[in-house]
Amino acid sequence: MSRRRVVPILTLSVLLCAASASFAQEPATRAEADRQQREEKNREVQPYKQSGFEKAMHFVEEKAIFIIGREGFYPKLGSLTTGSGFAYGVGFRDRDLLNNNGELDLWAATSIRQYWATEARLTFPKLANNHLLVETWAAHRDYPEEKFFGLGPDSARDDITSYAIRSDLFGARAGVRPFPLLLAGGGLEYLNPRLGEGQDSRVPSIEDLFDPTTAPGLGESVDYLRTMAFVELDYREPKNARKGGWYRVNFSHYDDRTTGLYTFNRVDTDLRQFVGFLAGRRVIAARLFISTSNTDDEHVMPFYGMPTLGGHDTLRGFREYRFRGPHAILVQGEYRWEIWSGFDAALFYDAGKVANTRSDLDFENLETDYGIGFRFNTNEAIVFRVDAGFGSRDGKHLYIVFGGVF
Amino acid sequence: MASTSISFSAASFKRSRTVAAVAVGLWIGSVAWSAGPRFYPDDPVWSDDDRAFDASKVVVIEDTGGYDFVVNTFSDPGERRDVRALNVNTVDEVPDSSWFTNRIGRRQMSVAEVVKGPDTLDQVSLDGWIVSGGKSTGVQPGFRMTDPSGQVYQIEVDPPSNPELASGVEIIGTAFYHAIGYHVVEVHPAEIDRAALVISEQATIRDPLNGRRRRLKKYDLDNVFEQAARLSNGRYRVLVSRFAPGKPLGNFRYYRTRPDDPNDIVPHEHRRELRGARVFGAWLNHDDSRGINSLDMLETADGWAWIKHYMFDFGSILGSSTIAAQVHRAGNEYIFEQRPGWLTLITFGLYTRPWMHIDYPDVPPSVGRIESAAFDPLKWKPEYPNSAFDNMRADDAFWAARIVARFTDEMIAAVVKKAQYSDPKATEYLTKVLIARRDKVTAAWLNHVCPVVDPVLAGDGALTFANAAVAARAATEGEGYQLQWFRFDNAANTRTPVGDAQTVPAAASRAPAGLLESGEYVGVTVTAKHATHPGWSRASTFFFRRGGSGWTLVGVERGS
Repeated sequence: MSRRRVVPILTLSVLLCAASASFAQEPATRAEADRQQREEKNREVQPYKQSGFEKAMHFVEEKAIFIIGREGFYPKLGSLTTGSGFAYGVGFRDRDLLNNNGELDLWAATSIRQYWATEARLTFPKLANNHLLVETWAAHRDYPEEKFFGLGPDSARDDITSYAIRSDLFGARAGVRPFPLLLAGGGLEYLNPRLGEGQDSRVPSIEDLFDPTTAPGLGESVDYLRTMAFVELDYREPKNARKGGWYRVNFSHYDDRTTGLYTFNRVDTDLRQFVGFLAGRRVIAARLFISTSNTDDEHVMPFYGMPTLGGHDTLRGFREYRFRGPHAILVQGEYRWEIWSGFDAALFYDAGKVANTRSDLDFENLETDYGIGFRFNTNEAIVFRVDAGFGSRDGKHLYIVFGGVF
Repeated sequence: MASTSISFSAASFKRSRTVAAVAVGLWIGSVAWSAGPRFYPDDPVWSDDDRAFDASKVVVIEDTGGYDFVVNTFSDPGERRDVRALNVNTVDEVPDSSWFTNRIGRRQMSVAEVVKGPDTLDQVSLDGWIVSGGKSTGVQPGFRMTDPSGQVYQIEVDPPSNPELASGVEIIGTAFYHAIGYHVVEVHPAEIDRAALVISEQATIRDPLNGRRRRLKKYDLDNVFEQAARLSNGRYRVLVSRFAPGKPLGNFRYYRTRPDDPNDIVPHEHRRELRGARVFGAWLNHDDSRGINSLDMLETADGWAWIKHYMFDFGSILGSSTIAAQVHRAGNEYIFEQRPGWLTLITFGLYTRPWMHIDYPDVPPSVGRIESAAFDPLKWKPEYPNSAFDNMRADDAFWAARIVARFTDEMIAAVVKKAQYSDPKATEYLTKVLIARRDKVTAAWLNHVCPVVDPVLAGDGALTFANAAVAARAATEGEGYQLQWFRFDNAANTRTPVGDAQTVPAAASRAPAGLLESGEYVGVTVTAKHATHPGWSRASTFFFRRGGSGWTLVGVERGS
């Protein structure tokens, strides 16, 4: 019995040894050993197959990015104006028009708050060897629930109303660039703002609380011819600035071509300064915005032509368009710190006010707020941000915005 | 019956167990024998025949930048294992292959040879060339041109803010990486007259606005030159890169093997030349060391095809980020690193990364941003994790640092001069920085193992060797060497110590009496003492095989 078991086991072991020896085909040299490994791989060679994630990334990086920025038809996404909510639509563009000298952009979009707009814009940004900019546009805007709280710094939060404004615009401007950082020029624009009842069912319409004495221009339909002149100095580095500055002064004369009553002048001065430190990974950003206007004694400035404060890019502790007046001053400061490349945080402080007279345009009795924000950005721009504003007499406000602040 | 039967069975079981043990032992022995000896007769091999099998069925693998970043940052591709590089020969060196050709590490190179690099032309003139296509990849603006013979070249311009920046570092990087042993493409500086460019009727470009391929137009060239630094004579300095021969297959990855290439049997994260590239990357600040900056070309001859692997795109090394001066973070921190990010977040930015405090000197714009004072090779990092770099061990780093140490001051100066910077201060500064960084690299990585190299065992038993760290002036002489000789059984891969450990003050010793009289293999394990380099105590072991008239070095192990 034992012999009968031992023999097969030994036989098996010999066979195993022989098999393993024959399987390995023992190489005599290193070169042979390596070749054996390659022979083995050659037997198992498989065609390369992309993983699902790899395919997805290829699609995103080679196709999807062209959907947003693509030539021809493209999806128009974002916002139409402060308070419009997210907007979506379709556009068509050609950025190498006329031998790459012109850019044409046509689009139409509507928003979740029933705002809608359409625009055609033709721009020649680099004429005369990059020394001349020429641009023309035509647009229609229909904003059904713009907010109005009254004029001046003492307007009451409880007086919130809404109004609709619809306007056609046709314009053109030209600018010269004597050197790359400076652009100066002027333009002409026709616009015909038309007011209507506010469509926000949660608040009264403007005419329920205000009249033409408290909301000048209400009930009137006028056409404007706007002439403008501007000068702009931009030496930010990079455009999503870590240092440098951006200064712009814009003068506009709004000529009431219908009644002559609502003719006015407005000057907007916007000064932005950026100081970077710690390799530019910390930035102090400061902004001073002053808007002032004047009318002759026989003229009145319409409320919808006045500067406003409140919302995601001005006083962030206040609701949109919370303050409105013929004059406004806004000071904003941000301390921005980079967390990871492409992702920043910011502590901010806003202060500002509107004024009924230019003499009140000072730094006394400013409305203030503070807050914190998080931004996804590139070197060129902030792509998406979340800002939370606190510390105002208007409660807390959270903004989720595609785009930057200043 | 039953009890008898049980008793018998138990005895039988014992016998069977013994027989089985013998059988298993025999089998294991045969397997061990099948595993082969440690050293084959042809060891050490200096050429890896990784063109042995036809690879004509391979397909293009072209990773996108985002994919490469995400995979390497948020997953852990390949294998992390503390294992000796799998493609080194028995003397711990890299054999020539489709990946690497030993140059300065194995033979003397003249300064002129280092400077020449892969160049087949002394200089290029663009007379008679035509524009044959656009450039659709990479951030550096450019296009393609074809010379009268039909050879295709890529033309790239320098950023207006930093003239000569990207082209300069491409030229420098190409020369160094070539001398190190990598396959690189040939590059030259040249001047181009914008007005004289002629666009071929067949020239196409992938439209940057919509990704569609279309005919190349004049304004495409305008777009390129708008982003280009212009010379005072109205012309443009450009970098001319000669297309590598063969069919482009995309890039290689720093992990795993290509499943469709029968010759590719060593996981890339375990290739010595890819692990050691971390050292070269640190020296030259090649923070762009990643898969997408590599190139695989399918070469064919006589109906046979194989892949040749290139290091590619040196536009973002040294002080350049290709289109601007290098960012401060480069080389110091990955694009995404959790800890410093969270610390920065929760401290409102009061926590600052060390690299934010580096003081870069005021240098010509063509240099960009690079320095040597704060540079710490051990802390250097590429843009994002690299599987091969993460697997780098002390022996890999030692191999690479020895190569770095072979670049003399004169070679470095000559290579920088090849970049033809118009400002002599740029040449002077870069040369100084590269020499200082070389010294830091060698000091860091030649001292992490016992730096004994080039042992020679004479027939009479006299052993001499050198100290790579001392030779490179990366360390002072130590406090002596400790040696333990052994007899080596090649078939069984076992060592038998012979004699007591020896302590010698200098780089010479003698084998114990009687050791060399018998046996085919002997060996010696060497450690050293140095007050400031504890790494010298990590042994280097050398194996010698009896040759015709003496002993031949056949094996090297480091850091064991």
